[in-house]
Formats: sequence, structure tokens, C-alpha cells
Amino acid sequence: MSALDRRTLLAAGGVLAAASATGVASARILPSAMVPLIGPGYRPVDADERGMWQQMTRVEEEVAGSNLVVQDPALASYMQGLIAKVGGPAAKDFRIYLVRIPDFNAVMFPTGFAVIFTGLLLRMRNEAQLTGVIAHEAAHFLRKHQIRQYRDTRTKSDIFAMLAMGAGIAGGAAGVNTGDLTQLGQLGTILSLLRYNRVLEAEADAMGVRLLAGAGYDPRAMAETWQQLIAEEKLSAKYRRKKRRRDISLFGTHPTPESRMADLRISAAEVTRPGVFYDARRASYLAAIGKLRPTLLDDQVKLNDPGASQYIVNNLAQDGWNGLLRFHEGEIWRLRNRAGDDVRAAQGYASAVLYPDAPADAWRWHGIMLSKAGRRVEARAALSRYLAMAPNAPDAAFVRQMLVS
Amino acid sequence: MKSVHALGTALALLLLPACSGVGGGGSGFGISNYTLIRARETRVGTGSLRVTPPREWNRQRGQLFVDIREVEDWTQNGPLLDGISFVTGLKSGDTLVRQTRRDDRQVPKFRSNMTAPEITAMLESLFRVRGGTVDFKTLGLAPRPFLGQAGFQFDYEHLDSDEVWRRGRAVGATVDGRLYLILLDAARAHYYDATLPDFEAITASARKVR
Repeated sequence: MSALDRRTLLAAGGVLAAASATGVASARILPSAMVPLIGPGYRPVDADERGMWQQMTRVEEEVAGSNLVVQDPALASYMQGLIAKVGGPAAKDFRIYLVRIPDFNAVMFPTGFAVIFTGLLLRMRNEAQLTGVIAHEAAHFLRKHQIRQYRDTRTKSDIFAMLAMGAGIAGGAAGVNTGDLTQLGQLGTILSLLRYNRVLEAEADAMGVRLLAGAGYDPRAMAETWQQLIAEEKLSAKYRRKKRRRDISLFGTHPTPESRMADLRISAAEVTRPGVFYDARRASYLAAIGKLRPTLLDDQVKLNDPGASQYIVNNLAQDGWNGLLRFHEGEIWRLRNRAGDDVRAAQGYASAVLYPDAPADAWRWHGIMLSKAGRRVEARAALSRYLAMAPNAPDAAFVRQMLVS
Repeated sequence: MKSVHALGTALALLLLPACSGVGGGGSGFGISNYTLIRARETRVGTGSLRVTPPREWNRQRGQLFVDIREVEDWTQNGPLLDGISFVTGLKSGDTLVRQTRRDDRQVPKFRSNMTAPEITAMLESLFRVRGGTVDFKTLGLAPRPFLGQAGFQFDYEHLDSDEVWRRGRAVGATVDGRLYLILLDAARAHYYDATLPDFEAITASARKVR
């Protein structure tokens, strides 16, 4: 079910190998062929789908009540507005929940509610990119993917997975969990348990592109998102001195990220009409998420995955460096903490404080680094600046003591 | 380090039902995952730190491939609800838990020249990287003597992906280039307040023996 997921993306490598060995090639699905299969106010008729809806209603109640959901009514209504733009006939039927998990993931549930992780918001440069992901998720619902996948596979494993998921969330049990996913805990793990097959993913991509262009956004935004994810993975792996993960999984059925990106590019060109102005709408995106961005960056950078974090910071900085991004550049090096990183970190903080929007924390760390380098006068000035900006900071007592000693 | 416990331990229990005793503490081989700590002076970790708990506690057996010998974990009601961890002389360049060089997300290394804000940031990343923490708030960082050195007291709370808010206090200092630290981490509802007096008594009783 997780349509765009940073980790599943990698599982695709093995599938590529398998596909090329058997000569199976998947043709690109044409956006023009992607018409909605449902109308407004859709309700299931058949018994199996009705059962699924019943379970999912319970899951939605649990998700809605989770304390991982970000409580920000303005942001919630902004995202609701986006899905209404690309939701086709079901525009008014969707619900979106933003959950505080620092990973790239978005999930559409069979009943038309979507869960978006904060890590996804962090990685989007503009509204077109975010809306592209939302359009892709909306397409899963509009094309009835959940029930089709269930019926196509003719096994009950998928629906059982969903039912177990419902029980898992409802019961608050430890859920099903495997090594790599421990940090996501229950909710995150559960959300990533379910996946669509590659045909359905390709359909959602094709329809997403069409919905995105139809709403006046640059349809190339979806391919950009993929390109960013691939590049982030590569840099993350490189910093840990390994190749991009290629977990060979027989069950991973996503198209490879590269082929998906290529198809998205062609599809975008296909739906682009000459003479029409397509906007990325960066300003409205920043207006909506700007206040949250320091927290989003913090959540990512403190995971100490320096390659991924550096890619994200640099990617956002394509729209212009500022004090916040420079500060986090320093944070990435400080946490990586290899030989020489302390100097890099100090440089990051020193350049951050040159920007008028430098966060108070940039002054604090600038001061600490100066102090460690023996530059006491400058350190005092920086730490005093920090206390002036954040007099009630929780560590003010400690910083005051640093000033005295 | 069981303060990063919550999810990790729950996971271990799920995956290894045959050799984990939930609640009962039995392993099926007559070996318990917990040892009773009496209310008298006890050596912890590498043995370089002695503390005196005001009542009985349970020492958790270290997990292979996760825990290091400098760290020892105690609990009163199980690691999901409360725990006290002792860091007894972590060397410069080492980390609070075992990890491989190739893990994407890593707990930062301790360095002997770290200031208190750097040590506490290291703890925050430990929770985020290994404990499933999605929201972490520093409540206070203040100077506090520990083991006769200029140390610090760090108060914090965190929301973990099991949707439980936990609260903690760490008191630590760098002594002869090594990190000594005692850390309480417990569910914010009830358990933190219930174990804080023990933590304070244990911290006050701590003495370095080598």
C-alpha cells in the first residue's frame, strides 16, 4: 500500500534483475487511459469490499486519535485543499492525516483516507511536488486498487494483512515488526506492510500525472520527486561506504525507481499542453509549511544519516540558502563526528549566523564551537546573543554557567 | 542501553518467544533475563561505579549485539514502563550501543572533549535512532556536580512511535576522559514520578571506585 516509500524503493532492485532475466517488460500505462472507476460518494456494494471498509473505518478512527498526528488545523486544511484539487470525482470524499514520522511515505487506505508522514513534507520543494504525491495516492482510490489487487491475486493474504493491521492498531499490540523498521514502530510499520503490485503503481503514476496537470501544476514534479529520492538514497549509502541498498525480495513488486522515473517523464510530456503556464507554487507551499520546517529538519538531521540529510539540505537550498539550512549543515557534521567534522560543523554554524534568519540554536552552537576552539571573547558574544534570543531556553542555566566560567 | 529499549525490547520479545520471559522472567533454560538487585551498595557496568539503591531493583541482562559492557540497565516494572541506565566510563570514540559501520542512521560517537550540550544531543540521537522517538523535547539542562566533578543534569521528554510519552533525567560528567552517566527514563504518566526518588537516591550514592 505504501506507494512512495523510501525503503521499498530499494527493494525494487531485485525485481529489476528478475524481470530482465525472464524477459518480462512492463509497458508504460498511458495517462489518457486512466479514467476514474468511481463517482462521488462511492460506497462498496460487494460483500468482500464492504467487509474491508468496515475494518478500515476502525483503522481510521485509531489513526485519527493517534498522538502521532500533527495537530495543526491550518496545515490540515491546506492539505485537504490539495487533495480536493486532484481528487477527481471523489474530491470531497478524501481525508488526510499528517503523522510525525521522519520518513518519506504516503499511504492511501481503501476507504479514501490518506496518511502522510512528516518526512515527506520535509523533502518536497514546492506545492507541485507534494500535490504530485497526493495525486498518485488519490489515483489508487479512484482506480479501486485495493479491492482490485485483492481480487487479482486471488489469495487472501493481502486482505488478511489488512485485517491484521486493523486489529494491530486497534489492539495497540506490538504489531508485526521486522528489523529495519523498528524505528517506525507500530503505526509506521503497519502502514508499510501493504503494497500494490507494479501494474497498479504504474496506473497510479499515470493517473497522478494527469490529475496533477489537470489541476494546473507542472506534471514533471512527480518525476522530480523520484529523482530526489534516488539521489538521496545514493548519497546516504555513499556516506556509509556502501552501494545503494538492493534488498532482493521476491515479494517486492514495485517498478524500479529508475524506470518509474522515466515513465513519469514521458507521461508528463504527454499531458503537457503547449502555451499553458504550469506553476510549482513554491510560495504557497512555504506559507503553509514554513513554520514546521525547522522541526522537520531537526527530526531528520538528528537521525544522523549524514548522506540523506545533506542531500535534503542541498536540495532545499536549490531554492536559496538561508540561516536555517546552513545551521543544519553544521548539525549534520557535528553529529557525524568523524575526524575533521568538528571544523566543518564550526564553519556551518559560523556561516549560519551571517544570515538574518539564523535560529537561536545556531548562535548557541556557534558559541560552543568557538569556546572549544579557545576563542573565548567571540564565544561569549555568541552565547550572549543566544540567551538574548531565547532567554527562556531550557538550557539557559547551563549556558549562563558557560558564560561565567 | 534499555532506555532506548522500549521498542527494541518489545521486538526482541516478539521475535524470540522461546528464549524471552515476559513478566515471568523465565527463559525455558532456567536462566532469567533479570537479576535481583538488593537494597545495598552494588557495582554496576564495568564495576567502576558503585551505587546504593533505596529498594530492590531488577538488573536486565544485556542483549548480545546491542549492549556494551559499560552500560547496565535496571528496571522496576519492565523496560517499557521504567528504567535506569548506568554508563560507566565510556571511552572516547565509542558509542552507547553496538552498531555497525554501515547502519544508515547511527548513534553519534562519544568524544572526551564533548561539552554537556553535545553529550545531551548524543542522547537525543540515541533515542531517535534506536528508540523509535519521533518527538523529543529538552526540558532543562543545568550544571550539577556528579562524582565530585562539574557535571550536568539533563531533563527531557519524548514521544515514541508506540504513542507513549516518556520522560527522563540524566546526570553525568566526564571523568578522566570517560563518560559516567546515570539516566532515568520512564512513562511520563505515573512511572517517572514513581521512580524519580529512587533515581535521586542512587545518583547521590554513586561513587567511582577506580
